[in-house]
Amino acid sequence: MQTYNAPLRDMRFVLHELHGLEKLNAFPKYADFTPDVVDSVLEEAAKIASEVLLPLNATGDQEGCVLENGVVRTPKGFKEAYNVFREGGWASLASDPEWGGQGLPESVNKLVEEMISATNCAFGLYPGLTHGATRALEGHGSEELKQTYLPKMIEGTWSGSMCLTEAHCGTDLGLLRTRATPNEDGSYRIDGSKIFISAGEHDLTENIVHLVLAKIPGGPSGVKGISLFLVPKFLPNADGTVGPRNGVVCTGIEHKMGLKGSATCQLTFEDAQGWLIGQPHKGMQAMFTMMNVERLSVGVQGLGIGEAAYQAGVAYAKDRLQGRSLSGAKRPDLAADPIIVHPDVRRMLMTMRVYAEGSRAVGGWVAHAMDVSEATDDPALKEEMEDFIALMTPVVKALFTDLGFEASNLAVQVYGGHGYIREHGVEQYVRDCRISQLYEGTNGIQALDLVGRKLPAHMGRYLRRFFHPVSEFIEANRDDAAVGKLVEQLERAFGALQLSTGQIAQASLKDPEEAGAAATDYLRLIGLVAMGYMFVKSAKIAAEKAPTANGDAGFYADKITSARFFVDRILPQATALFLAIKSGKASMMALEEAAF
Amino acid sequence: MADQNKSEGIKKVCVIGAGVMGAGIAAQVANGGTPVLLLDIVKVGEADRDAVAKGAVAKLLKTDPAAFMSKAAAKLVETGNIEDHLERIAECDWVVEAIIERLDLKQSLYKRIDAERKPGTAISSNTSTIPLGQLVEGLPDSFQRDFLITHFFNPPRYMRLLEIVTGPKTDAALAAKVGSFCDLTLGKTVVRAKDTPGFIANRIGTYWMQQAVNQAMDLGLTVEEADAVLGKPLGFPKTGVFGLLDLVGLDLMPHINASMKATLPPGDAFHATNRDVPLIAKMITDGYTGRKGKGGFYRLNKAAGKVKESIGLTTGEYAPSKPVTLPSALAKDARALLASDDKLGQFAWKTMAPTLAYAASLVPEISDDIVGADTAMKLGFNWKFGPFELLDKLGPKAVAERLEKDGAAVPDLLRKLGEGTFYKIEAGKRLFFGTDGQYHEVKVPEGVLKLEDVKRVSQPLLKSGSAAAWDIGDGVVCFEFTGKMNALDEGVIGLLGKTLSLVKAKHKALVVYTDADNFSVGANLGLALFAANIAAWGEIERSISGGQQAYKALKYAPFPVVAAPAGMALGGGCEICLHSDAIQAHAETYMGLVECGVGVIPGWGGCGEMIDRWKSAPGMPKGPMPAVTKVFETISTATVSKSAAEAKELMFLRPTDGITMNRDRLLADAKAKALALVENYAPPPKPEFRLPSAGGKTAMDMAVDGFHKQGKATDHDVTVADALATVLSGGDYDLVDVVTEQQVLDLERAAFLRLLKTPQTLARVEHMLETGKPLRN
Repeated sequence: MQTYNAPLRDMRFVLHELHGLEKLNAFPKYADFTPDVVDSVLEEAAKIASEVLLPLNATGDQEGCVLENGVVRTPKGFKEAYNVFREGGWASLASDPEWGGQGLPESVNKLVEEMISATNCAFGLYPGLTHGATRALEGHGSEELKQTYLPKMIEGTWSGSMCLTEAHCGTDLGLLRTRATPNEDGSYRIDGSKIFISAGEHDLTENIVHLVLAKIPGGPSGVKGISLFLVPKFLPNADGTVGPRNGVVCTGIEHKMGLKGSATCQLTFEDAQGWLIGQPHKGMQAMFTMMNVERLSVGVQGLGIGEAAYQAGVAYAKDRLQGRSLSGAKRPDLAADPIIVHPDVRRMLMTMRVYAEGSRAVGGWVAHAMDVSEATDDPALKEEMEDFIALMTPVVKALFTDLGFEASNLAVQVYGGHGYIREHGVEQYVRDCRISQLYEGTNGIQALDLVGRKLPAHMGRYLRRFFHPVSEFIEANRDDAAVGKLVEQLERAFGALQLSTGQIAQASLKDPEEAGAAATDYLRLIGLVAMGYMFVKSAKIAAEKAPTANGDAGFYADKITSARFFVDRILPQATALFLAIKSGKASMMALEEAAF
Repeated sequence: MADQNKSEGIKKVCVIGAGVMGAGIAAQVANGGTPVLLLDIVKVGEADRDAVAKGAVAKLLKTDPAAFMSKAAAKLVETGNIEDHLERIAECDWVVEAIIERLDLKQSLYKRIDAERKPGTAISSNTSTIPLGQLVEGLPDSFQRDFLITHFFNPPRYMRLLEIVTGPKTDAALAAKVGSFCDLTLGKTVVRAKDTPGFIANRIGTYWMQQAVNQAMDLGLTVEEADAVLGKPLGFPKTGVFGLLDLVGLDLMPHINASMKATLPPGDAFHATNRDVPLIAKMITDGYTGRKGKGGFYRLNKAAGKVKESIGLTTGEYAPSKPVTLPSALAKDARALLASDDKLGQFAWKTMAPTLAYAASLVPEISDDIVGADTAMKLGFNWKFGPFELLDKLGPKAVAERLEKDGAAVPDLLRKLGEGTFYKIEAGKRLFFGTDGQYHEVKVPEGVLKLEDVKRVSQPLLKSGSAAAWDIGDGVVCFEFTGKMNALDEGVIGLLGKTLSLVKAKHKALVVYTDADNFSVGANLGLALFAANIAAWGEIERSISGGQQAYKALKYAPFPVVAAPAGMALGGGCEICLHSDAIQAHAETYMGLVECGVGVIPGWGGCGEMIDRWKSAPGMPKGPMPAVTKVFETISTATVSKSAAEAKELMFLRPTDGITMNRDRLLADAKAKALALVENYAPPPKPEFRLPSAGGKTAMDMAVDGFHKQGKATDHDVTVADALATVLSGGDYDLVDVVTEQQVLDLERAAFLRLLKTPQTLARVEHMLETGKPLRN
């Protein structure tokens, strides 16, 4: 059964105890978001998620979206849910107050996103894309464009989409064919076709604002000649109401493996009117502002679905009676023991559990850095935070979605054959999560970004923002009575990471394919060490607080157990990953192409 | 001074004419340790009759790059005037005339010189345009016997080429004596040229520059494009042609062209190339004479915020420079560049083909052989390859065929060469193609030893990714660095250890030397920064301690070690020299412990070695503080010597260390020095230090605080200096403790690591790597 209880206690732990929300409160920008305020936001979000979004998850999956006469109909109940969502102010949570947003820190917003993704990931895409589009517009758009579009988009009456992919190019956007021809009034005429446009057409909002990549004729070739345009579905009137229909139509929607409540559209732009965002030919820069925000959100989708899968697995494992414990019956009163008594089921549940907890902690670390970088006046601190975000963006995106997918699969495994049928709803998690490993840059591309761009940047300066805190933590806690043993295990994995990093840096100087061959393993390795660091740090906090925790003692004890499981059973993969990386590309590239 | 460089017979020199060239020649004579008398005219209306020569010396002292190698050298120049002091040329063994290029003035001066000189004194002219035949016309045979042309290049200290031209009556022994003095004492590579206009380098070079200007204009190139083509891809300096014209001065070109036009025979190819360039004429009129004027083809527009601009060759208007990057296939392969049929390729061909053909047509007219022509272009114009070496790279036959196809004349020498190449290696010997159609061995003068010649005939004894060891004969091994910029890394340190074992087992002595322009810029900072960024502290500590141990092993090896630096010897490159038994340095050695500039301190034993050097410096007061203060000043300010002579003043070189003036002789001199130490060799005793402890540290810290308050030292300078002061004062050791060498090393290592963990140091290292400039944070 799809079930969801927002893990509020763990969320509060990550937010307050692990990363220190109070440190953000010191910035005027976040002064109002005290623990009390934030906690009530989280509680309200949990309610919306469980009560409004969760019930529509399985039905939305079964019903899907429908294209009729150029109009996309979202699954039954989505529009009502969207209105509740919008009226509750959830669409504007993290947006700039200058444009009507509530300015919540990302540290909080990412937790709300997790709840949305856990309960109805397909639904979450509509407001999610709008949020990304407002970020790009805020960062690069003209004052006039911002005035016209931002307030509507932030309040959620208009939504957004990002139109990059065309039939012949996804990763390699230099090949784009959509054209933007200058009009006399300073706007552009947009012509071309786009595919795979999430939320490109739907019935939830009165207008849709497309951000479209296109080429202005005569510009430089390749990615250096791409510009970003704003193309509304309906041209706005001067009074802010929607006016005539613009030349953009939905010509088809994709039939997908999952995420069926989200409309994935083919859009045709024909004599559509658009406005340039930012400088001509600098579209990739503007688009990347949006992409980086989106990549972190996609990572959180993996986390959310993984958490939901975990909860579904736990519910079933406690309920399903099969066989007896290997050490003798645990529930002789029943016909059989619940399957949660079995070590192998425990293995799966614990793995899913630590994936979610570990991802949540790492995600909180990155979100905290985003908040500091937005708020600080200190250029050195800002650089430090931006370096860290740049380094961790591909890790969050790829690691969280890979782990979310693994967790979903494990949930199916816990259910056995009942997981494979529609009825229980866990196979939907596998299908829904699968896309998160693909869109916003496949996880392979994320890994290449990590080893090719982030690792060598400024002779490893981005890495410093991760390696130094971990190194300092290890130095300081090696002899800690409570977590010294865990630190020792973390240190071993960290050593494997250091050696791998040095190995890749050196080998790829001579041969860039070496970096490519190491990329995915390296991303997993740094991700595991990041989670390991978070767990050991969490365990230290838990150990310090447990003795005086009263009602929370159980939570802290469980946190320490999670940390021990992660460090004992998952983190040792670091050694294997190091050995794989060390072997280099040789066996990977040896086979003649014809032999495949 | 440079005692082993003195050739017999020339003990004092007189230079007449204190212009840029004359004064520069005088400075270089002084740099070589020889007293020099610099004379010029008496300026009308000037109270001080020596004012012109004195003014020239004053100017020399301010020149950048410096003309003098040391203050002591400047003191060797005596000034005077030709009215009152000409009779003093009787004290001199060689008189260099470097006055204005006017035959009548030169001749009348020669007559006066002849009257005053003692018999057998060599007389030479630094003329660049007047044939020797004309200069000596009407002068007695006894004068003509002692007369020759010595043509220096500007600036005389730094340009290694000297063209010597003798007349039919010049005494061969006298010419040899002057040549040997210029080689050994002035450090010049002497090329014998014929008595023809422009001699060798200017004859070919002028043609090349004019051809390039013409083609760039005709083909509609920008100056950036032209300089990108005629730069690195062909082995030319990165100034290209237009940058070079800016450097030498645009106004020089019309002068040289006019002189060539007047003196070259009518059939010479130069006449077809020579043309008036209205743009250049206008630029000169407007004061755009190059770097010495308001700018040239390039200028720095300070009004627009220091924007580099270049002039449009057709418009004559300045616009912001647009850097040109050639496709890598063309940038690396001269042959592909000339074959490329875009306008850049056409420009390359249309400039280089006539230039190379011209050069080939001029042997033996201007030089007996191609080797002289190649050497002159390499040292006079800083070409990486001479014209004949370039032809070999391009394929002489292919060039000849394409010339033929273009309808251009194919020079006889090129035709005669046929399928072959101008140079070839046979039985380990380098041979050149003679005008007689036969191959002859490229002769290496006695006392010249280059590693590249050793490499041609042998394999390295040992080798790593960044170092190699070579047998250079007579039981001596040469250890060389081979990494990028000769940076030091584990490959160097590891191989050094192996080399020491090898020499101990099988050889007599070790020389540390490389043929490269720069000895070593020190440890590989990129690796260090990366290691620091990933917090690989254990790794870093191991590599510091590995370097310390390797350098100490070198110091206490049971055989003599001589380091032979040239160019930059910085950081770890300086420290390896400090650990050697002796140093034989090229005169142009720029040595220093520059670690503080990147926020660390010397970590491979530099601190202890420098204290030991200053402790035993002549005239040092007693007590631990004076030597430590000197070391602190030198290291905390990252002082780099501007010459080997200055390195002696800074005690990087000991008083007993040697200086070689001629770069080509450095290895042979170092080898000789090493062999001289072999007999009864004993490693040096281990020093013991008494260091000034906390009180001394306070004094050093206070000095730095003073600079900090005056704004001369940054916050992080204070931190770095404090770490250095901790090491130099002996850390926690007391004034009465004897501190061992190892204990100083331990202090060094700890301080180095402490600094490397600070964000400010990491920012300094990163900034240095990314911009090449120090960060003042």
